[in-house]
Amino acid sequence: MSETITADIADRPGATPAAEETPREAAGRKASSIEMQGLHKRFGRDTVALDGVDLDIRAGEFFTLLGPSGCGKTTLLRILAGLEEPDDGSLVVGGKNVTEVPPHRRSVNTVFQSYALFPHLSVRENLAFGLKMRGVPATERDAKVDEIAGFIQLGDLVERRVDQLSGGQRQRIALARALVCEPDVLLLDEPLSALDAGLRSQLQVELLRVQKRLGMTFVFVTHDQQEAMVMSDRIAVLNGGNIQQVGAPREVYERPVNAFVARFMGHDNLYAISARQGDRLTTALGTLTAEEAGEGELLLIRPETLDVLPGEVEGPNHLQARVAERLYRGSHAEFRLEIGDASLQATINNRGRHLPDVGDRVTVVVAPEDLVTLSE
Amino acid sequence: MRKRTLHRGLTAFWWLTLAFLYLPLAVVVLFSFNASNSAASFTGFSWRWYERLMGNEEILSAFANSMILAITSSVLALVIGCLIGYGMYRHRHRKLGWLIVLIYLPIVLPDIVFGISEMAFFVQIHDLTGLLQPGLGTMIIAHVTFQIPFVALIVYSRFVGLDPTLFEAAKDLYATPVKRVVHFMLPTIKPALISAFFLSFTLSIDDFVISFFTAGPESATLPIYIWGAIKKGVSPEINAIAALMIAAVAVAAAISLAFSRRRLT
Repeated sequence: MSETITADIADRPGATPAAEETPREAAGRKASSIEMQGLHKRFGRDTVALDGVDLDIRAGEFFTLLGPSGCGKTTLLRILAGLEEPDDGSLVVGGKNVTEVPPHRRSVNTVFQSYALFPHLSVRENLAFGLKMRGVPATERDAKVDEIAGFIQLGDLVERRVDQLSGGQRQRIALARALVCEPDVLLLDEPLSALDAGLRSQLQVELLRVQKRLGMTFVFVTHDQQEAMVMSDRIAVLNGGNIQQVGAPREVYERPVNAFVARFMGHDNLYAISARQGDRLTTALGTLTAEEAGEGELLLIRPETLDVLPGEVEGPNHLQARVAERLYRGSHAEFRLEIGDASLQATINNRGRHLPDVGDRVTVVVAPEDLVTLSE
Repeated sequence: MRKRTLHRGLTAFWWLTLAFLYLPLAVVVLFSFNASNSAASFTGFSWRWYERLMGNEEILSAFANSMILAITSSVLALVIGCLIGYGMYRHRHRKLGWLIVLIYLPIVLPDIVFGISEMAFFVQIHDLTGLLQPGLGTMIIAHVTFQIPFVALIVYSRFVGLDPTLFEAAKDLYATPVKRVVHFMLPTIKPALISAFFLSFTLSIDDFVISFFTAGPESATLPIYIWGAIKKGVSPEINAIAALMIAAVAVAAAISLAFSRRRLT
């Protein structure tokens, strides 16, 4: 049932008269690309929110803006929505320059962090609001609202009052209210941050399913790197109003370009390279051979790439260590190892083998292909 | 045990306070139904004073004046106060402390000062231009002036209580500036507007001092009529007017309260 409705939304036959009357809607069914060039924005005299952002987002992509609070990700999203005007730079959506187009004339809709459902309207009226403002006749509005309610599986929520809804239900209504307008681009401003963990992962899956079926361009803002990795086709990591790195989740996680990205993606094992001879890099841990040593002055070792062997074993890229801390997490265990004066995090999958105890002497094996160099 | 005694004491105090507030009103209402015109003893139930009211041209005209004044001034104050309230909301992040004080001032200013000032002002204007002859017109202006702050503050606090993102959601969902007013702002603040209207209405009906200073010879309202009539002694007829005014104001205040309590999540 929902399959047929999906297909209907994705490529509705242009035969209905209303669809012919509004070419914007026809365009809405195609995903749009976004090109940002030299976007600058400052608030007041000293707060620089965006410091020259160049970014291309592909049509139909689930794209995430990731960064700590104050990094400029929300400002960027608000510029896409038209709620904020850039001081400088240009914004092209679907081939049209919309830098100075007001929000009510952009085919872009937003799912707000606070959901922003209108308290004076019923759920149905909330869902129909955008269509009504665009002058879609009442019967067609009703049909579209029913269609989207089936697609997002809202069930009988449509007939409720807004104040009768739970957080998760509000979130889904807010999503449906934006999707029903069939925008070129859907913007999502930390839409899941107010929900508890269980509901959150459930809605992550649902959001992904919706995006894949509609093939719409989604721009998602979050400060949660786990969420960003789960959801995104590509991620842009922002800091201080600048883009640090753009790439697929694996790229950003496994090959961060600088220390900020590495730390933000959750990496702690960063060591200054004190000497290098070809691919042989010396750090506080000792000397290790990397497969391809890049230019950077920092060495990143991901905890989950390490092997920990009991006792002292000699070999290339083998480091002698002592277990300083052990956190048993069921499916895996996290170790803090001491190597000389340096400390190293290692994560070991729990495959039923012996897990070293605190105080044990162990050998850490580092694979050359997992070593990454990066700059500060 | 001690707690229970204290509780009883507080309950008694509550009822005593209520009695203190409402017994005088009850006496007026009771004696408006008195069969005799004695103000001392209740001799039997009768509608005669209410019937007398209906036949008294002066009272009917005062009643009409009161209603015209209250409704016209409340409507005008609603429009102007609503715009001011929205302006205060829109610019709330700027340093507007002194402007807010200017809005509050008429609320705390003694009525008599306000009334005298209005009168002096109208007289000046009248001498210079021949406009603003004392009468219903000047009274409406005076009433609007003291009603505006109440309307503005009610509308302002309603806006402040809203999620600011709602304004952005309306823009995001294709609402033009005019449509935002019609389909979002006005419906959202409707409870506040109804509350503000009935509060303004009550304030206008109640007002004596400011009306007294700004009225003309033909524009006596009910409070002004009562003031004039009472010089000849309290007649049961006055009690009947008072009882009707209590009823009217109670209804308006109840409506105002009911809508100001209406909170939307």
